Formats: sequence, structure tokens, C-alpha cells
Amino acid sequence: MSATQKVHKKSDLILRSYVAGVLIFLLLPIVIVIPLAFSQDASMVFPPSGMSLKWFERAIARPEFVTAFWLSAQLAVLSTAISLTLGGLAAYALVRFRFMGRSLYMGLFLSPLIVPTVVLAIALTMIFAQLGLLRNFWGLVIAHVIITLPYTVRVLSASLSEIGRDVEEAAMILGATPMRMLIHVLLPLLRPGIISAGVFALIISFDEFTITLFVSGPGLYTLPIEIFNYAEFYSDPTIAAISALLILFSAIGIIIIERFVGLRNVFK
Amino acid sequence: MSTVDKLSLMDEHKPKWKPRRSGRRILLAGLLAPALIVGVTVACTFLLMVFVSFQRRFPGDAEFTLYQYALFFQDSYLLETALRTIALGLVTTTICGILGYPVAWFLVMSSSRHTYIVFIVILAPLLVSIVVRTIGWTVILGNEGLINAALLKLGVIQSPLSLMQSFWSVVAGMVHVLLPFMVLSISSVLGKLDRSAIEAAMTLGATRSVVFRLITLPLSIGGVLTGAVIVFCLTVGAYLTPLWLGRGSVQVLALTIRQQVMDFGDWPGGAAQAVLLAAGAMTLIVIVSVATQRMGRR
Repeated sequence: MSATQKVHKKSDLILRSYVAGVLIFLLLPIVIVIPLAFSQDASMVFPPSGMSLKWFERAIARPEFVTAFWLSAQLAVLSTAISLTLGGLAAYALVRFRFMGRSLYMGLFLSPLIVPTVVLAIALTMIFAQLGLLRNFWGLVIAHVIITLPYTVRVLSASLSEIGRDVEEAAMILGATPMRMLIHVLLPLLRPGIISAGVFALIISFDEFTITLFVSGPGLYTLPIEIFNYAEFYSDPTIAAISALLILFSAIGIIIIERFVGLRNVFK
Repeated sequence: MSTVDKLSLMDEHKPKWKPRRSGRRILLAGLLAPALIVGVTVACTFLLMVFVSFQRRFPGDAEFTLYQYALFFQDSYLLETALRTIALGLVTTTICGILGYPVAWFLVMSSSRHTYIVFIVILAPLLVSIVVRTIGWTVILGNEGLINAALLKLGVIQSPLSLMQSFWSVVAGMVHVLLPFMVLSISSVLGKLDRSAIEAAMTLGATRSVVFRLITLPLSIGGVLTGAVIVFCLTVGAYLTPLWLGRGSVQVLALTIRQQVMDFGDWPGGAAQAVLLAAGAMTLIVIVSVATQRMGRR
């Protein structure tokens, strides 16, 4: 082995340890709540003195959490369905057509990603107050469609641009009407993209905190806000138990995306 | 289908249904309209906020005034908060860059079998609730948390340190939430980088640090800047992390904006702060994108 190769080997080792350190930094705060969820202690002491399932029981039995979970679930499903429809139409226009101001439209759809969250939150609060949508379920739906739309447009455009235009044209040449082409050719081909975009939108909507906090109110709290409210008054491992359940949900979502299109392609 | 039919079908090489020019326009409008309504709503929302920020009271007499902005720049507490917000953004962005660059490099350049696992671990936190991640930091930094437990056991300290409620605990939480964005934007640029330039330099005897300084970094600075803009904008707009990990002792604009509007019912005051925050972020985006284009032209 030459001297330079030895140097390379050494610097490679340094790089690997550095990357491993960063990964631990990313994973530790997520993984650490899991042992605490099974703790038997009355507060979040580390390490737990023994195991129990009582905090899961406590979490599931708390009516506020159950109500909030159902609200979050309804909100996520409804806003995902709307976001997928609007995002799908917009993605088709953006990918298949060349028109004036195309990049402007693209920027408009992606703008909620760059605008500081609190600014979007306060701006929505103001307009919702004028329209009577504050502390209103449909106001929350609109807010969540706005938040999830950048992701659905992005994921659907990405998978649409991988399906060649020739497939559509072939179907048309063979005499399919646009409707038949859509149902029998385009939608089946787009299925992995639709599933990924849907799972993405579900997770984003289900986890959203800041904007939801601004436009919701008592009686209309989603699960993340109810967890936050609980944590302000109590410091027992109930929130660790709920967090563990949420991590489980996210893990299932990640596996589904990974299975259908791969996380890597979503973020490309 | 008879042979004649088949032949006639083959003759028609054009689609039976072909939108005419005007039809195409209507189709395009129909496709874009629904999502456009959402986009325009967001735009109107911002216009309303800007309008409200130039009012003395809202709803009021709709008279244009700079009163709220004058109030902001005379208030030393708010100015201090604005400076702290910018500092939080800069520190978080810098640390994300330092932590993220080598990871992005590893993802793109390494021939390791583990790059895929690294990729998943970088992305997965994005899909875990921010509430969960913030609770995790409470478990690590809290008085009965991991770090204090470890230090007490090792006998380094006698009583728990108060690690929460500090600027740095907020920084830790923000870096944790935003690091994936930095890694992604750097790795997407590094991925497009022409590796033959690096190989050529290596063959000609350049050391790794020289290659990095003279080739890799200049060619990938665009990705770093894009990542920096995203991280900075998301940091200065973050609400939950400063609130929870700062526990009231780390005041940033996101928190004062909400207090102004929700607790004091002062819409124009809150709107003015939000407009200043957004304007600051937009200015930064413009400066960085102009700088990136200049660099690209060189």
C-alpha cells in the first residue's frame, strides 16, 4: 500500500465517523422517547427504573387525545384528497404544457415552502377572521390544502415527467377517448406517484403544528396541539407513549413510500 | 375486427381525438384553475397582511400610516428580539452547513454500501412529527434527562445543569429539524458535479484539501447557498421549537408576533412585524439568487 493510499484510508475513516456522528445526532432525539414510553416511573426520568404499558393505556384512555386523533385523521384524509386532485391537475398542466408564466406558476405553488411559517400562519389568521373561517373545520381544511399542495404538485410532477408522452399518444392513436386514456392508462401508470404523494400529504397534514395552532381554537385541537397542551401542564411519560405511536405511524408511511417509489425519488 | 377494419385503423395514424388550439387553451385553464385559486388566495392573504400593517387600528378607518413600523423601530425590546431571531437563523444555518456538507459529500462520492441507509436516516426525521422531535430534545436536555443523568453518574456534576431554556438548546432543536434540507440541497448539486475535474487535479498531484478549496467547494457553493436560504427562512419563521426548547427565555419574532395578535389583539402591530420578517427573508433570497447567478456566469 502506498503512502497516499494510506492517507486516503485515514481521511475516509474520519469522514465515516463524522457522518456516523451526524446520524446519531439525527436519530437520538427520535429514538430516545421509545424507552420512556415503556417506563413505569411517574416522570420522564432517564434511564427508566422499570417497564410498563400504563402510559400507553393512559394515553389511549384520555378523551381529549381520542377526539383530537379523530379530528386530525379526518382533516388529513380530506385535505389529502383535495390536495391530490388539485395537485394532479396542476402537475399535468405544468409537465405536459408549455405556456407563458409556467415557472411563475411553479413558484406560486411552491411558495408556502419558503415563506417563513409564522408569516403564513398570521396572514391566514387575518384573512380567516374576515371570512369567518377562524376556529372552523373548513378553515383548517383550506389551511392544510395550502400546506400540502407544494408536496403533491412536486411529487406528482416528478412521476408524471417520467411517464413519456408517447404512452398517452399511443392510447389516443388506438382510439381511446381522453377519459378512457386517463382511467386505463395514465392513472394506473401514475399509481406509485399518487400513493407517495398521498402518504406525504397525510403525514404533513397530520403533523402540522404552527399554522394549525393559529387558525384553530378550543374544541378544534388536532393531536399535535393536544400533545403540546398536555406537555405544558404534565411531565409524565404519556406524551412519550403518544410520540412512540406517532413514530410508528411515520415508520409505516416511510415504508409505504419506500416500497412504491423510494424516498430518494421524492426528494430528488 | 375484420382485416379491412384493421387496415383502415392503421391508415389513421392521427389520434381520433385531437384538441384544437382553442380547446387546448380551455383544457389548460381548466387544469390550472383549481390550484391557481389556492395560489391566488395565498397571495391575497399576504396583501391583506401588508395592508393591515399600514393601519393604526384594524378594522379601522383604512388610512395609510407608518405608525406600526415607527413603533417597531422605537421599541428596544422588539429590536433586540429581531436581532436574536437573525442570530438564531445565522447560527443554525452555519451549523447545518458544517454538519451537512461532509454528509452530502459522503452520500454522493462514497462507494460505501451504506449510502442508502444514510440517505434514509437523513430523510426519515422529516416525516416524524416536529412535536415528537421536540419532546425528544426535552428528554435529552431536561433536568432529569439523558445528559444530566450521564454527567451525574460520572460524577462530573453534583446537581443537574439547566440545559433547557437557552439559546443553544433552541439551536440544537432547529439544526435537528432543518439539517435534512441542507444535506439535500448540497447533495443535489454535488451529484451533478463533473468528477473528471477532480480526478484530473488528483492525477496532477493536487492534495485533497487543494481539490476541495479550488474545485469542489466553488462548484458546489450554489447548493450550499440554496440550502442556507431554506434553512435560514425556516429558522426565522419557526414557532414551536423556540417556544418549547426556549421555555419563554428565548424570545424570537415568531413568538412576539403571536403575542401581539392573540394576547393583545393588536393586528396591525403583529402584521408589521410579520411583514418585516417576510421582507427580510425575501431580500435574502433575492441577494443569494443574484449572487448564485453571477457565480454561474463567471
